[in-house]
Amino acid sequence: MVEAFAVASGKGGTGKTTSTLALGMALAEEHDVTVVDADTGMANLLFHTGLSDAEPTLHDVLVDGGATVEEATYERFGMRVVPCGTSLAAFEAADPERLTDAVAELAADTDVLLLDSPATLGSKAAVLPVVLADRAVVVLQPTVPALSDGLKVQEYALSYGTGVAGVLFNKVRDGEGVAEQAERYFEGPTLAEVPDSEVAPAARSAGEPLLAHAPDSEAAAAFREAADKIDVRAGDGEAVADRFRSAVVPDPP
Amino acid sequence: MIEVPNGDLRASRVVADAATPLADALDRRLTGYVVLRPAEPIAPDDGAGVVTMEDGVPVVAYHDGTDRGGPAALGPLAGPGPYRAELYATDAAALEPLHSAAELRVDPGAPAEQVADAPELAARARERAPADRDPPETDPVEAFLDDEERVEAIKQRARDEAERRAAEWGFDEVVE
Repeated sequence: MVEAFAVASGKGGTGKTTSTLALGMALAEEHDVTVVDADTGMANLLFHTGLSDAEPTLHDVLVDGGATVEEATYERFGMRVVPCGTSLAAFEAADPERLTDAVAELAADTDVLLLDSPATLGSKAAVLPVVLADRAVVVLQPTVPALSDGLKVQEYALSYGTGVAGVLFNKVRDGEGVAEQAERYFEGPTLAEVPDSEVAPAARSAGEPLLAHAPDSEAAAAFREAADKIDVRAGDGEAVADRFRSAVVPDPP
Repeated sequence: MIEVPNGDLRASRVVADAATPLADALDRRLTGYVVLRPAEPIAPDDGAGVVTMEDGVPVVAYHDGTDRGGPAALGPLAGPGPYRAELYATDAAALEPLHSAAELRVDPGAPAEQVADAPELAARARERAPADRDPPETDPVEAFLDDEERVEAIKQRARDEAERRAAEWGFDEVVE
């Protein structure tokens, strides 16, 4: 049984990786969770999980004769984490065809698969996680550019048959009623409004997910609330794996 | 419609994003205005936007396609780029009639933050702004979300783009 979620935002700086790991940790209390850095061109999940020096990473899985998925999977913070490296050469050497196989392999053996997706819709490879996921979690912050891009991500997802699990508002300042106002434009529910705080950058600096670094913070509580609102629909792991395997192959970078 | 004073053209170019001309105006300490015209309009009423500057810091904003002023003018300008951007210099006195219209005023950092998605540039503009600048009553994000037509236009454009690209990218097999 598995449900694959693309955590997506369309633009950078919205706190997507922080959100992916926070949701992952919260969901891991009840489910078997695997988190994958599917942003192979601008990977940063490794910095949030204390895996900066980890070898091998997903990049090594994506090269001919490289590491196995299992070797690039690390048990961290109650989840299985598949980080990606940051070397441009490794990114260029990576064969995108192998990403679908790698994710298919992971999908066959987990309850919840969270794909930290690229912060762009500019290329086929960047859109692929949204196409392949069962549902998308749209991460927003209350600015016009972030909302515009979040709307775009949602429409891409829906156009490609991917549902919307909900919308997560990050970096919300006191008194902002943006979520309530924005809700009518989004398909899924508002999962949470996460307050703007120093906790998120501090957690990243410490190389820990927010829920591990500041479990008692307001932000952590909001992320837990968001995870509670995601009703994981257990699909057939093999069917999801097949979908990934049969997915179209993105162009090489 | 508002009346923008004639100014001396200081720069005119096509830029990938709105941060470039706003940063240019800040660095030059421009007193005058920046005209931004999205090269790829999203909604039929897309026109040009004007952001006036005092010492490089945004003061008022106006969008001629929608005839909106102040924070509500910023949403229509926030597109993916590119833009045709022009910088004009004027006397501070020539801008006075515009600057005295409270409903047109914007937060000094709002154009950078809400149009250009450049929070650091927004912080620099706020830092440079005089301390006595009153915050405008309208919030640009609220104004944007009130503009149902524009939001629907953004969604429709994204759907069209997604469908076109599905064919280009060969996603047809996975897209139902």
